[in-house]
Amino acid sequence: MKALLRILALVGKELIEVMRRPGAVISLVLGPFLILAIFGFGYHGYRRDLQTIVVLPAQSNMTTDPQEYDSLGATGVRVIEVTQDRGAAEDRLRSGAVDLVVVIPSDPVATLKQGQQAELAVEMNQVDPVQANYATFMAQTLTADINREIYRRGAAEGQGYALEIGGQAAKIPPEVIASPTTAKVVNLAPISPAIVAFFGVAALALVLQHMSVTLLALSIVRERTGGAMDLFRIAPIRATELVIGKIVAFGILGGFIAAISIGLLCGLLGVPLLGSPALVAATILLLLGASLGLGLVISIISDSERQAVQLSLLVLLASMFFSGFVLRIEEFDPIVGSAAYLLPVTHGIALLQDLFLRGAPQHTWQLGALVLITAALLSVSWLLLRREMRPA
Amino acid sequence: MEWLQLRFAEGQADVVASDAPAQTPPPDSVDDAPARAPGDAAVPAGNAGDAGAPTADAVVRTVGLTRRFDDVVAVGGIDLVVRPGTVLGVVGPSGSGKTTTIRMLMGSLAPSAGEAWVLGERPQAFTAPTRERIGYMPQSFILYPELTVRENADFVASLYGLFLFRRRRRVRAVLELLGLWDMRDRRAAKLSGGERRRLELACALVHEPVLLVLDEPTAGVDPILRRTIWDEIHRLRDRGVTSIVTTQYVTEAEEVDQVAVIARGQLVALDSPGGLRRRALGGEVIEVATAATFDAAALADHPGIRNVRQTGLRSFQAVVDDAGSAAPVVVEAVAAGGGEVASVRELKPTFEEIFAALVEEPVEAPSDEVQQSPPQVIAA
Repeated sequence: MKALLRILALVGKELIEVMRRPGAVISLVLGPFLILAIFGFGYHGYRRDLQTIVVLPAQSNMTTDPQEYDSLGATGVRVIEVTQDRGAAEDRLRSGAVDLVVVIPSDPVATLKQGQQAELAVEMNQVDPVQANYATFMAQTLTADINREIYRRGAAEGQGYALEIGGQAAKIPPEVIASPTTAKVVNLAPISPAIVAFFGVAALALVLQHMSVTLLALSIVRERTGGAMDLFRIAPIRATELVIGKIVAFGILGGFIAAISIGLLCGLLGVPLLGSPALVAATILLLLGASLGLGLVISIISDSERQAVQLSLLVLLASMFFSGFVLRIEEFDPIVGSAAYLLPVTHGIALLQDLFLRGAPQHTWQLGALVLITAALLSVSWLLLRREMRPA
Repeated sequence: MEWLQLRFAEGQADVVASDAPAQTPPPDSVDDAPARAPGDAAVPAGNAGDAGAPTADAVVRTVGLTRRFDDVVAVGGIDLVVRPGTVLGVVGPSGSGKTTTIRMLMGSLAPSAGEAWVLGERPQAFTAPTRERIGYMPQSFILYPELTVRENADFVASLYGLFLFRRRRRVRAVLELLGLWDMRDRRAAKLSGGERRRLELACALVHEPVLLVLDEPTAGVDPILRRTIWDEIHRLRDRGVTSIVTTQYVTEAEEVDQVAVIARGQLVALDSPGGLRRRALGGEVIEVATAATFDAAALADHPGIRNVRQTGLRSFQAVVDDAGSAAPVVVEAVAAGGGEVASVRELKPTFEEIFAALVEEPVEAPSDEVQQSPPQVIAA
């Protein structure tokens, strides 16, 4: 009976403690709900059509209207441009402006007459193995769609098609007749990394953000709950010095952990590092800075360690969902997708994957975005901390 | 006890706080000034003449200092002047407003009304150089448990801008002074409660402040350590350091030059320990035992005797200005009245009794309560 009394006392105490921290309760209940609601409403699960440029052979008299090619009805592929400048198309592919470049062979009919399949060169620029597989699959689908269109037109034109190839039809192997065109998929990315390499780098960015956010959030909350903030209010230390001191300390710690993690990724898991180590370091520095700024903001709005941990975990949860770590940002509603770019790790993942696996960032503006996020978060946290250090 | 309270109430007008917010300029700051003689160091602002006039040699000055938390007045209109080299004890029951007052003086809490000047500046707008001249020891342990004793002191010294060589020297000096040098490499988490308090005191002293503010430094520490802490505070006073020390231990009022008694957010008394005793009793009290029944009422009008209270058929108490010089007068007065004095003793109530008389609501106390303290015999 006394044991029951003690257990009930503990139950009561725990419940009262939780309920008396309204911030913690709100973040505990509303936080995950909000993230799941955003995910539910913002994620449509559809893959965006692959933006494609069709490159025609020189002096081709084929149509240059993209809609004509779209009318082939290839699923998941959207032709946005038709050109004869293959170099320019490949430049756009390398910059990430388009997903595929389809190069039409110079004389497919002549190739067919020679009893050979006309080969479409389908070029992509993917380091994401999942996305590369998808692009390859879509290239095969495109080829099948083209072949189907050839049959449809042949049937429509009746014997004209047979007359055109004349008596040589007998020389054409059945597999060529069955599939007059084939696709040769070429990946312009420097390497085609394994799953572990691609996601390992993303996980590094995620871990660095989570570690920075959590450690700094807890550090400031502990200063406050332990009473050190009272000392800071009285001692000749300014909010600026406190912010810089915290950022530098946890920046050094984060940098140390990043260096060890990169060593393990490259040494043990064989993840290639194609980019400049200096640029990788700069990116990690920016990611740490922005994450520490986020941690500072969380620490200042948290009323307890419990709430700081909860908010840090909510940031992690949101990052898992929206940063492109697992699900591609393009698969979200545009508003949610745009909001994803407010997370430091969204840029951190993209930049580090590019630096490791491509050798250079595909979207250099993301470095600027990280700088802006870092500056904004540190400014906000500095203002909040300065207010907190003023007389109450 | 009712009598003590009555007498105190009469004298209270001297120190009771003003509710009017201050409109006065800050006093000049004085530091490194020589220590003053105890007893003339801290005065209520209201006693310093015009409450609005600047006080040239004040380390701390408050006028109508008030802090409200919503509808609750935590501190209501405290007027205070603390001169250099003073040890001011702020005494009051738990929740009386001591820490709130200290926090306002330190600038971590803004007053709702009234003003304070510390070292010549308003605490809400302390400049860095002024902050460097203040040593503060908060009520609760705030140092870092994972850092060693030396690292904690070193960290605080750095906060106060001490560079390497001076910092090393000062850290060693304060740790040695407080007996912590031998445990300098021990983590703060492993220290006992008393050692932690000593470490906090070391941190408050490490940058050689001219104003030391200690919020209940002796709370929860053993008597020996308490003695060490007070000795250090006295040593610092001798070097000209001004200290403001809050305490719940009323007996520690003996250790300070001036005692500010705070109750329910009000400054109910501010005086030297001796002055406080006189104030509480209405003067010094001598207790007279007579050989036979004696009616003392007639002595009330006798020159040199301020008041008389009959405590028994053969005993009475006389309030006088100075017990030493008044004792023969009382003896003579009794003799002139036909009585014979068996003994005369100075009645010296403990500070607990004085404190209770000052801060408590009127309570019914037995008349012999005052006599529980061992009286000091000044004549036989």
